[in-house]
Amino acid sequence: MKSIRAIALLGVGVTALAATAPAMAQDQVILRLLPYHTDAMVENYNPNNPTGPQQRMRDFAYEPLWIDNIWHPGENEEALAVAWEIGEDLKSITYSLREGVKWSDGEDFNADDVVFSFEYAKAHPDYPMGLDVYNGETGNIVSAEKIDDLTVKFNLNEPDALARYGINGLYPLPEHVWSGVDDPKNYANLDVVATGPWTVPANFSRNGHDLCRNELSRYNDENAIDCLRFPQMNGNEQTVAALSAGDLDWLGDGLTDPDVTFLPQSEFNNYWLPAGSDVNLQLNTTKAPFDSLEFRKAMTVAIDRQTLLEISTFGLTTETKYPIGTGEMYNTWYDEAALEPYKALMEYNPDEAIAILDAAGFVDADGDGWRDNPDGTPIAFGISMPSGWTDWVNTGQTVAENLQDIGVNASLKTVDQGAWFDAVPRGDFDVYVMWTNGGPTPYNQYSPMFNPRLMVEGQIDFQAMHQMQIPEVEAALDNFKGSADEATQKSALTDIHKAVAENLPVISLFANPIWYEYSTRRFSGWVTEEDQKFRPQVHDGTRERVWHALALKPIEGAQF
Amino acid sequence: MIFLARRLAFYFAAFFLAITFNFLIPRLMPGDPSDRIIASFQGRLNESQVAAIRQSYGLEGSLWEQYLTYVGSVFRLDFGISTVQFPEPTASLLFYGATWTLVLVGLAIALAFTIGSIMGIHAAWNRGGFFDSFFTPINVMMNAFTPAIVALVLFYAFSLQLRWFPLGRAHDPSLMAAFDFQFIGSVLYHATLPVLSIFLVSFGGWHLGMRNVMINLLNDDFVILARAKGLSDNRVKYRYVARNAILPQITSLALSIGYMLGGALVTEQVFNYPGLGKFTFTAIGSRDYSFIQGQLLLLTTAVLIANLLSDIANVILDPRLRKG
Repeated sequence: MKSIRAIALLGVGVTALAATAPAMAQDQVILRLLPYHTDAMVENYNPNNPTGPQQRMRDFAYEPLWIDNIWHPGENEEALAVAWEIGEDLKSITYSLREGVKWSDGEDFNADDVVFSFEYAKAHPDYPMGLDVYNGETGNIVSAEKIDDLTVKFNLNEPDALARYGINGLYPLPEHVWSGVDDPKNYANLDVVATGPWTVPANFSRNGHDLCRNELSRYNDENAIDCLRFPQMNGNEQTVAALSAGDLDWLGDGLTDPDVTFLPQSEFNNYWLPAGSDVNLQLNTTKAPFDSLEFRKAMTVAIDRQTLLEISTFGLTTETKYPIGTGEMYNTWYDEAALEPYKALMEYNPDEAIAILDAAGFVDADGDGWRDNPDGTPIAFGISMPSGWTDWVNTGQTVAENLQDIGVNASLKTVDQGAWFDAVPRGDFDVYVMWTNGGPTPYNQYSPMFNPRLMVEGQIDFQAMHQMQIPEVEAALDNFKGSADEATQKSALTDIHKAVAENLPVISLFANPIWYEYSTRRFSGWVTEEDQKFRPQVHDGTRERVWHALALKPIEGAQF
Repeated sequence: MIFLARRLAFYFAAFFLAITFNFLIPRLMPGDPSDRIIASFQGRLNESQVAAIRQSYGLEGSLWEQYLTYVGSVFRLDFGISTVQFPEPTASLLFYGATWTLVLVGLAIALAFTIGSIMGIHAAWNRGGFFDSFFTPINVMMNAFTPAIVALVLFYAFSLQLRWFPLGRAHDPSLMAAFDFQFIGSVLYHATLPVLSIFLVSFGGWHLGMRNVMINLLNDDFVILARAKGLSDNRVKYRYVARNAILPQITSLALSIGYMLGGALVTEQVFNYPGLGKFTFTAIGSRDYSFIQGQLLLLTTAVLIANLLSDIANVILDPRLRKG
């Protein structure tokens, strides 16, 4: 027993030792945020490296040309550009750049940097800068032209009124630095030269790093935060604990039942989950019974969406009003009067579903208790879910039960995430639950969903899994893209909405939440349900996040 | 000598087979490393960009060509580039993870082996007594717990509620690695709960193993002889019985040390401990071939070396093996 006592003493000694370690003195105001999970921080500050560095460097260090204010379009969107103009023929976009912007090493930012960035993206297709460069076959942006020091014109191959949304998200690189970099995808970019409010990396270790104030930034008058701190973390139990203990201020994690697992952990913990992109059932319409419109109609009214919202997804999702594959995120685009007749397709009505199936000949022909196809072949299919995606697995289970209630032999099929991704391009599936693509306009969502090029077996896209070609939708998409006039775009979109509701290529379920958790321990000024200034996420892809960080002010007496 | 030569030939064959499986198994899983990256762009890449990205992750050439490249790189000790943390060299991540796994699992094995064996000796010597009838069933029960439960309970109680121990990490992030009192103190402090969670579920095994072997030996002639000679209890217990009983324990210990580099996935995940198990889990999820291969190679090599060492130890300890 002597040895056990010795170990116990050792443990106590170690604890005492650690407790006496001096706390670091800090006068700086530090915002701790977690845009992504990782097992180890990597010393790489490349703004177009999608494995992590991009999450830390975009918006905060590197600025885009334009910040699309998704919740309040047209308000306060200027970034490195201050104005844009679409050419008469829709084959060009001209940007006026901000005057007096300096790179953090003192050089001027001007049109040469923007032109260089386009040429650079064109020369390095394996370095994803987000531009749709025309390569002779695909893509659309042909060239970038310097008009004068503060004016750049992008020329397009085909007329496209929406091309600016893609170019807006270009993060220009400083020509005087990157012109010497031949292999950008492997470049760690240790000397950050950028224009954003925080550009100076500091205190790097595998456990995280800081990104500190750019002394030349034009934001310094309003910027109350000296450094951003990006800690290394992985796993929700860690992040929730860290936010509750004051090791994190801003988070965007998907949490299970946050009222129980998150809110009670600290008086400073807060969350708000506005509606994000919609989630749909993708049916493989090349197969029976999904090739029957009547069957799809029966499916949509057989689903108890209230249970999906309140129980399967823990009350975190938002209701979708119309069977159009999209929802509240784009509610400013709805033509409510035109969509009203389709509302019934979203209501839970198992009797109606049974009536539709009976009328269409989907009856139990072989007496096994399950309905069969009108030609007598049996119906049995799986709804595929990636295992571990709890809310979606619950959703799949509920939908399967709803379908069983109307006599359809559907079951939940969970598979490993990799296998789930893998089966899509080959068209090897019956029913999938699938997200939709976000973007500044609904065009970004419908375009991949109805592009026949993305329905080719072997390269089927996640959005085009239904594989139903609808010519009216394709024509309406062209109309949308072919006009910069908002009224024309809206009427084209209404045509799309109606065609989707008539054909039901996908079954609309609900809108996923936008994940946003924050702590009021050190900072005020957070976006809240009462103060919906802009989208509040911490992740890359939300260009508004730099405004969010700049809006935060330290609370008096808070410990940093 | 012939025995050793034969063993060496066997090890070489086993090694070659193992690296072949290391290459094949990750590739047998559906999906490939570029899928995740490409999916993360949500359709914003055009076809030529997708093709360029696939190529940049080295997914070109037939499986056979990739295999030849891989075998060449194994012998050059080139572990390739990680795709999860592109373009970080896999070797630097492997080395980082291996270091912390050695600290975590090494400490846990050392403690579990020492304490478990000592308890086993006591229990066997006083079999049927209070110590034996109290601790043996308890240790059997502890041994049956899964590390997940123990780690989560410890994390919840001591890190989250009582706040006696940190929430995670291998050391205070504000300290830079150094061989000083403060840094080592911080490492031990952070390792306490993770080590404890592995220790609690594993020391019972050593206790039982030691106890069972001891009890068998206690009735052997040499023990009776030792007692008849009038040797003290402690001398019989430690020098005669325990010393013989420890031999099979040492073989198991060698194997445990070999498997150490497999990491302690659950513990590392719960305590955000930067060990190999956690890295490998992420790598498998995102099909990071080079990391999975590198980790399996480390594990294979470590197990083979541990086996080889235990073979050599057997040759030294057991004269019958030397005649071959």
